[in-house]
Amino acid sequence: MEEKRSGIMNKNIFYKRTFVTGCILLAGITSLFITASFSVIDKNSSAKTGTLKIIFRNTANGKPVILRDSLYNNYFGEQYSISKLKYYISNITMGNNGSSNDMGGYYLMNVATGDSSLELTLEPGNYNSLGFLLGVDSLRNCNGAQTGALDPMNDMFWTWNSGYVMFKMEGNSPASTSDLQRIEHHVGGYKGSNNVATKIHFNFTGTVPLEIIANSTTEILVETNLDNYWHGSTDIKISELPVCTIAGELAKKIALNFKNLFSIKNIRIIP
Amino acid sequence: MKIKIIISVMLFFITSLFIIGATTDDGYGPYDPQPITLEIPSGWPKPSTNIFANNKLTEQGFQLGKKLFYDGRLSKDGEVSCASCHQQFAAFATFDHDLSHGVHNTFSTRNAPGLFNLAWMTELHWDGGINHIEVQPLFPLTALNEMGETLDSVIFKIKKDTTYKRMFKAAFGDATINSQRMLKAIAQFTGTLVSANSKYDKVKRGEAAFTPFEEKGYEVFKAKCASCHKEPLFTDNSYRNNGLALNRFFDIGRQRITQLSSDSLKFKVPSLRNAQLTFPYMHDGRIYSIPQVIDHYRTGIITDQPTLDPLLQNRIPMTNLEKNQLVYFIYTLTDSSFTKNTRYAPSNGSITDPGFDKH
Repeated sequence: MEEKRSGIMNKNIFYKRTFVTGCILLAGITSLFITASFSVIDKNSSAKTGTLKIIFRNTANGKPVILRDSLYNNYFGEQYSISKLKYYISNITMGNNGSSNDMGGYYLMNVATGDSSLELTLEPGNYNSLGFLLGVDSLRNCNGAQTGALDPMNDMFWTWNSGYVMFKMEGNSPASTSDLQRIEHHVGGYKGSNNVATKIHFNFTGTVPLEIIANSTTEILVETNLDNYWHGSTDIKISELPVCTIAGELAKKIALNFKNLFSIKNIRIIP
Repeated sequence: MKIKIIISVMLFFITSLFIIGATTDDGYGPYDPQPITLEIPSGWPKPSTNIFANNKLTEQGFQLGKKLFYDGRLSKDGEVSCASCHQQFAAFATFDHDLSHGVHNTFSTRNAPGLFNLAWMTELHWDGGINHIEVQPLFPLTALNEMGETLDSVIFKIKKDTTYKRMFKAAFGDATINSQRMLKAIAQFTGTLVSANSKYDKVKRGEAAFTPFEEKGYEVFKAKCASCHKEPLFTDNSYRNNGLALNRFFDIGRQRITQLSSDSLKFKVPSLRNAQLTFPYMHDGRIYSIPQVIDHYRTGIITDQPTLDPLLQNRIPMTNLEKNQLVYFIYTLTDSSFTKNTRYAPSNGSITDPGFDKH
């Protein structure tokens, strides 16, 4: 019994010593590493970075989207409520005088969980365009099991016909002819002409350029206005299209309005 | 000079991380992955290019995938594992069942196909709806008439098992359990199930000889079946309407995936390998025996279907002798070294004999 305990003690001391030695080593090496990186920064000051934060504010009829609460009217006077609103934002690009910075990334905006923003680290400077994809690019749709925002546990992946739901809105409307007057729009599809992932692009040329300042956060407020979801390039009436849960013609029709969903409402720099 | 310093500092840094890592014990055992490779039989085409592109094959990953494959906890009632419907003695199809049993006495609506040589397929399922082997399990795991579980619940359950934590660490470097790792591990198991040691293969390798009857059957096969059931995989992975009537589930096959009416009633051409063991046949198991399947092609094809395969417009004329010869050739595609390979069997059990099948 005694022997066993002392054995454990010895082991503990051994681990402690290893740990302490490791910590000292790590601290020393880290400081060396930091010094080394600073010497690089001296040469090229662009290694300092700033943060870009894009906040998506979901609205309908000028009101914020609140799940299972507010009632909204679409362009055709059809009243509806929303119980789910989720969409992917990916492949973010920042344009800088003709050259484009591909920031990549996959983000899931989800009203239910409060996920409504994304953050990127960028080189300081003036940028004159911002682009992103509403949805998930084709390549990532057929590249096997993903994690993070693209984890199928987020309930945005079709199990029977592989591919991501790019935009999901569920709710209810008296105009809906579906069971329980449901609205169920799972808009997806990545193959060929069925691809609904939509490139969104904002130009800052001629206006104030988008400025990224080192050690500061530039915050862009993007409004996702659902009024434009129903009416814009095409008409989406709840009475005619209450349910769309597969890729194809209906999803493509809904996606025609995607490009008008977003607008920039405010840009501010938080030092 | 400066770069040299930076590199040496970084190397030192990384090495020390390894030393620290080695002395830190998270309690879940070692990470010492042993790489394995997908065996590509001689004369076969290259496997699907992206199958293991982001999923490095290791013995530990394979073993983890195998454990998951045989684990009933992946289903709602704890009873239905992948292996319930994909039984090794039936070349990983469901033995002697047209449809398979899901949780709570449910039935699937399609016949469970055999699982082998999946690395040579670009799409899975009878309708080709699955675009990558890693995401295939999501369907049976969550289908109410198969394993009936939610992905969250599956991950919750296996996270509680220390053995899994050890195995995830052994396969992926740390004990994190998530859906991506689970799916990649299962793909390491299912994607490396290779069946290429039938009598046919031995004949091709010069290690055996067909009987004259089998040889004649091979001639019949080459003349009348091989354009769709293309050697050496015995499928061309295409989708075709082979003249069956629409079934009671109104299963329109490939059309459900593509939304194209030209794909109505088209289903994936199944491999003929191990066909002796994967009965009953067709996407809903409606035809019980190989001779009956051949009779369907000889006389049963419904020819007034707009999407009927052009190769079947005149059905497949064949004498009774040719039919019997063909059956015997198909029997030469049975790979008993595959169905008896203990590497594919559960680690703590044996391959169940079909005679003791509890279904």
